Amino acid sequence: MRLSEARIGQEFEILAVRIAREVGRRLADMGFTEGARGRVIRGGAFRGPLQVRIRDYDILLRRCEAAGIEVLPLGDLPAEGTVGPDFGFRFRGFRRRGSDGRGRREGGGRGFRGALGACGDREGPAAREGGS
Amino acid sequence: MSAPLPRVIRIALAGNPNSGKTTLFNALTGAHHKVGNYPGVTVEKREGSRVRGGRSFRFVDLPGTYSLTAYSLDEVVARDFILDEKPDVIVDVLDSTNLDRNLYLCLQFQEFGIPVVGALNMTDEAAAKGIEIDAENLGRVLGIPMVKTVGPRGTGIEELLDAVEARLEAPDEEPRMPGYGAELEAGIDRLRSLLASDPAFAARHPCRWLAVKLLEKDEHAARIAAGHPRGAEIEEAARESVRWIEGHFGKDSEIVVSEQRYGYIRGAVRETVRVIRKPNFSRTEAADKVIMHPLLALPVFAAVLWSVFQLTFLIGEYPMGWLETFFGWLARIVESALPGGLLKSLVVDGILGGVGGVFSFVPLIVILFFLLSLLEDVGYMSRAAFATDKLLHTFGLHGQSILPMMLGFGCSVPAILAARTLKSRRDRVATILTIPFMSCGAKLPVYVLLAGAFFPDDAANMVMLIYAIGVALSLASSLFLHNTVLRGEPTPFVLELPPYRAPTLRGVLWHVWEKSWQYAKKAGTVILAASVLIWALTTFPVREPAPGEADRRAAEYAADHPGAPPEEAAAWAEISRATSDLEYSAAGRIGKFIEPAFRPLGFDWKVGVATLTGFAAKEVVVSTLGVLYRTGLEETEESGTLKGALRADPGFSPRTAFVLMLLTLILPPCFASLAMIRAELGWGWLGFVVVYFLALGWGIGFAVNQIGSLAGFG
Repeated sequence: MRLSEARIGQEFEILAVRIAREVGRRLADMGFTEGARGRVIRGGAFRGPLQVRIRDYDILLRRCEAAGIEVLPLGDLPAEGTVGPDFGFRFRGFRRRGSDGRGRREGGGRGFRGALGACGDREGPAAREGGS
Repeated sequence: MSAPLPRVIRIALAGNPNSGKTTLFNALTGAHHKVGNYPGVTVEKREGSRVRGGRSFRFVDLPGTYSLTAYSLDEVVARDFILDEKPDVIVDVLDSTNLDRNLYLCLQFQEFGIPVVGALNMTDEAAAKGIEIDAENLGRVLGIPMVKTVGPRGTGIEELLDAVEARLEAPDEEPRMPGYGAELEAGIDRLRSLLASDPAFAARHPCRWLAVKLLEKDEHAARIAAGHPRGAEIEEAARESVRWIEGHFGKDSEIVVSEQRYGYIRGAVRETVRVIRKPNFSRTEAADKVIMHPLLALPVFAAVLWSVFQLTFLIGEYPMGWLETFFGWLARIVESALPGGLLKSLVVDGILGGVGGVFSFVPLIVILFFLLSLLEDVGYMSRAAFATDKLLHTFGLHGQSILPMMLGFGCSVPAILAARTLKSRRDRVATILTIPFMSCGAKLPVYVLLAGAFFPDDAANMVMLIYAIGVALSLASSLFLHNTVLRGEPTPFVLELPPYRAPTLRGVLWHVWEKSWQYAKKAGTVILAASVLIWALTTFPVREPAPGEADRRAAEYAADHPGAPPEEAAAWAEISRATSDLEYSAAGRIGKFIEPAFRPLGFDWKVGVATLTGFAAKEVVVSTLGVLYRTGLEETEESGTLKGALRADPGFSPRTAFVLMLLTLILPPCFASLAMIRAELGWGWLGFVVVYFLALGWGIGFAVNQIGSLAGFG
């Protein structure tokens, strides 16, 4: 699954960084490499940035960047609290709607392009890469 | 004392951000350092030295980076410094609590073929976290001597210098290089030997480093390799290797390189570092439960900001008062010492009035910088970026834009400087373009005067409204620019979140000193020039009063106000003379010349002149209006006479007053800010700022005035 879909407290192992070159490179430099293990600490309101602990330090990244990181969930799924605490941990219906919207924005598929489109802007990194 | 060894060791001090590099630099160099810029870029360069045993250790503090790609200006600067200056030794500062990621940069330095010494900094914190590092063994495994240091206490400084000397005295026969595994090494080796085939080229460029960079598809390296006599062959070989690696590993070759580098580090660390117990994040964790709580983060941020401004103005009031008193006293001394005439007017009104006004702002700036440096050193700024990124990103800005924007409420000059924390130029430009919308301290007196005169019942609310309009406009403008001239994505938000750390007083004070000095220098020189210019515009050409003019005016006044004491008539004559002088001066003529531009906004030439003088400093608008409305030369926003005079002017109404407040908010900022924008972004963007804010200010003023008058607002 993608890191952006992980729940709070979820431990994971990184499978691959699938995101446009420059950002992917930066994430790799910061320690997001295959096999590295980490944990999602918390997420900002209204789908704000994620706080992730990796290689014994904490890093903040936007969910659209996190959507380009393929992870393997480790251990049990934490029972409570998703990474989308846009009030969602209280109002279940609200969260479901939110996650549906997310799926659409990310272009549905799990493929390379789909993950890239997640940043939600007209001119996503995918478009730029396609152009170059 | 024996004759000192004529020996200078040039050392580049490198390391990750948050590795305690600056603190260690201060401990190494003491008070002997100077701050400048790297040539051609706005990246700060600190240099300092330490003399020991007749040997001078000259340190250059490289910008803190995580890697050496072309991701940010900082990385380019660090890389180019190493390549161009070829320092004797690179001392890499490592955060011992986070060795993997810190060694990642260290190994890239090793590839330059320049001796590297590692400073295992923050060993006290690592020990507290239960991390045990066998420094000697780690150094042996990597081929990089490691010395344990604790920056704030200065522990390990002498040992570090010993290691530097030892490294230079006994250079390696065959310098150790990080290994990338057999698959990559084949490619690296092939490229390296191709590059080394030309001795002249090999003497100038580190070949193995270039070979690795070519596998990372680094454009800078490709350009260097293109200068090789066998450039085409090398390019082809590099392309072939990259293709093979990507086929073999199934991912981008630069990702493979970085994964292999991390693999190499893992191997070295596994052998030499023992984690006795699980890393303990508890204190930071507990604080972050509140400070970074998804719902509380923004309110906490607002509270922090509010406290900073309250404290700044609360404490700053006293030294500001003292400075104002001091400059007033100085003006009186000069006034009595100099003979009357132009020189006196220049010194008292032009120089002391202008520069004195700016210097009385210095205490505010110093306190604001102190508090913000404190927050930065504690580690709060990353949290503030976390709290605000979602909001700002929506408008094409970045979480890290928040600090410069907030500083803008104090003064635009340091705010524009603070935009340097943003790594990409696009984000820096976008952030700097929001700053003029943040009503700075100098705009406040203008708002207070106009709101007090025309909205006496809601003065405070009107002022708040103008501030709010400024913030709203800044976001709307960012969104607009994001869709027009500043297309492209804001840089990804990938930001380290350091644990909370106790700041050192010395570090904070050093920050404050550096920033305040930059401010005083910039503002001092530009404001001096601007003050003199505005003084000259309002003074020349000098009007020769007609004979008996003063008596005539006094007589007129006496005739209009029967029973007024003669002193009042004399004062009126004096003010009246000043007004006529101003009208006659270049500024008055320019005001009349540009009057057609101000007409549609509902103003006559007087507002034009006031706006013009406002470019020296925004609060000058108030005193210019004071002169123009003949209410007195010593006009302040509190005094009632100017308010009365403005209300009595049939040309002014609540509507036009509101428009003038908007103009003060939106028209291009003062000269000092413009000079700062030029220094940071160049002439092109300066031109854009002037035109953009002129057009926007005029357009909004026009729209509000016309719509207001159609809707029947007075």
